[in-house]
Amino acid sequence: MQDLLYFSQQLINGLTIGSAYALIAIGYTMVYGIIGMINFAHGEIYMIGAYTALIAITGLATLGIAWLPVILIVALVCAMIVSSAMGWAVERVAYRPVRGRHRLIPLISAIGMSIFLQNYVHLAQGSRNIGFPALIDGGFQFGPEGAFEMSLSYMQITVFVTTLVCMAVLSLFISRSRTGRACRAVSQDLGMANLLGIDTNRIISATFVIGAALAAVAGLLLGMYYGSIDPLFGFIAGLKAFTAAVLGGIGSIPGAMLGGLILGVSESMTSGYLSGEYKDVVSFGLLILILLFKPTGLLGKPEVEKI
Amino acid sequence: MRTSAKKLVTAVSASIALTAAGHAAAEIQIGIAGPMTGPVAQYGDMQFSGARMAIEQINANGGVMGEELVAVEYDDVCDPKQAVSVANKLVNDGVRFVVGHLCSSSTQPASDIYEDEGILMVTPASTSPEITERGYELVFRTIGLDSMQGPVAGNYLASLNPKRVAIIHDKQQYGEGIATAVRDTLKDKGVEIAMFEGITAGSKDFSSLVTKLKQADVDYVYYGGYHPELGLILRQARQADLDTTFMGPEGVGNKGINTIAGEAAEGLLVTLPPAFDQKAANQELIQAFEAKGEDPSGPFVLTSYTAVQLLAKGIEKAESTDPFQVAEALRSGSFETPIGKVEYDKTGDMKSFEFVVYEWHSDGSKTPVN
Repeated sequence: MQDLLYFSQQLINGLTIGSAYALIAIGYTMVYGIIGMINFAHGEIYMIGAYTALIAITGLATLGIAWLPVILIVALVCAMIVSSAMGWAVERVAYRPVRGRHRLIPLISAIGMSIFLQNYVHLAQGSRNIGFPALIDGGFQFGPEGAFEMSLSYMQITVFVTTLVCMAVLSLFISRSRTGRACRAVSQDLGMANLLGIDTNRIISATFVIGAALAAVAGLLLGMYYGSIDPLFGFIAGLKAFTAAVLGGIGSIPGAMLGGLILGVSESMTSGYLSGEYKDVVSFGLLILILLFKPTGLLGKPEVEKI
Repeated sequence: MRTSAKKLVTAVSASIALTAAGHAAAEIQIGIAGPMTGPVAQYGDMQFSGARMAIEQINANGGVMGEELVAVEYDDVCDPKQAVSVANKLVNDGVRFVVGHLCSSSTQPASDIYEDEGILMVTPASTSPEITERGYELVFRTIGLDSMQGPVAGNYLASLNPKRVAIIHDKQQYGEGIATAVRDTLKDKGVEIAMFEGITAGSKDFSSLVTKLKQADVDYVYYGGYHPELGLILRQARQADLDTTFMGPEGVGNKGINTIAGEAAEGLLVTLPPAFDQKAANQELIQAFEAKGEDPSGPFVLTSYTAVQLLAKGIEKAESTDPFQVAEALRSGSFETPIGKVEYDKTGDMKSFEFVVYEWHSDGSKTPVN
């Protein structure tokens, strides 16, 4: 019983963190699916989302607004707007001018953008860890008194449910809406979509905006869940989310979700049963194994040579 | 006309060169190297404010041997790579005395360069024993060692008669070193170590670690490292209803932990150098800090102040600005300073330095235990 509770606790920890990885991973995978480049500045967009949310929360607090739903919604909306604008601007400034060149050029441009944004936040917000207020407190307890109790905090539930809702909305959007259909068309064949009258530039911008908005959601959620943010925390999260995207099959949206969850759970199980020191070893080892035996990732489709 | 213009130019440049040379002769550069930015910039603030104050006061009292001290400040971000480039820059700038660095992992690589280039270094904060173990001539500190701080923490924990203790560290030179010292002390006292594990500095998610601590059913958790990680561990532990008492070294004892952990920081045990700012003899100095609107209560403010003061006294005693002669003067002398009487042994460590156990509060204040 004790062992089962312990296992479930680690599973919950892993799923919470994994679902947030999945939200960030969507941004990597969608951009890759459409223009075949890796947007290394995406982790920074997530970090900026978290900072914007914190600024919004602090602003509301100084105005004396204390009703939780208002705070959360305003913070979320502000973060999504600022991050989306950033995502859009990054694409316009750093990627569109070099699109269609050798594939290394946008990659270097992306790394440059990432360094720029990181240092911009360093300068604008200072480089210290800033505490994020715990807005959602408390939770459920399971298990016997006096022994190991499993806890499921409201915050964990919030992270998980919000991710599920975002994923559901995104799936509907991609499969049903006009823009979603255009997205799929562009990812299948950019040139052909262009010939058929789809404004591909607009669709590519839309992809960046959607990815950035989801990253902003993750920024707010993880900021609250962890409890502090700093200008460098987008880098590590970005790396993890990128791993999740590759694990699930880069270019595939369900793949990003699956990859995120697998990565989160494998991390928490490793630190739970082995040691926290091996957390990253195991998750990146897993990545190497999957790439060796299934190079397209778990749900990725093998690339078909287009004639 | 042309020749006179040429003459004028020559005269002007000669006078510029002369003033530059005259300027250089009338001042002694003191490098201050530490983190102005980065995750532990709080500690850097303490270091810079202490050192600047000392330089200001020494200059107000006529300088050192009639020469003015000039602060030259460098930011190493507490990053070993950055520390090396800072050290090289310092060499190129012709600085011969350094107060710094702060983080042990920065001080160690930088001190290699200083020793090679004949620069005298006094670190006001690095507590790793290895720094002075290498037989360097020009390395000093105004702080104690992990090998002193670890046993203080270990003995205190052992005196509480715990059944099981968990020890966590951040795998860095400072954190792991001190955690190892605590573990060894506790083992000698027969306390069971339930776990000894590293975390990755800079990571944010400690939910698995907290779950593990909960499962391990320990009485105390010792953390070797800095406040950004411990703050998050404390906060995530409280959220998961783990109410074990945590203890940490002076790397966690600053107000930064309160902005991260909030209420969860209440009751944290910290080993710190004694509160020099409470000493009666230092009250005049403390008022000087307060008059400038600076907080003198941080653990490294007065150690940095002392580092500058010792350099000044060393130069005066040696009657020379040759770093080797100053080092010799420091080793042979005995100095009255705000952190007490300072005497050095051969390695560059102080002959005695005390650590005290404090209880930390959620408003950022601290009270000495026992």
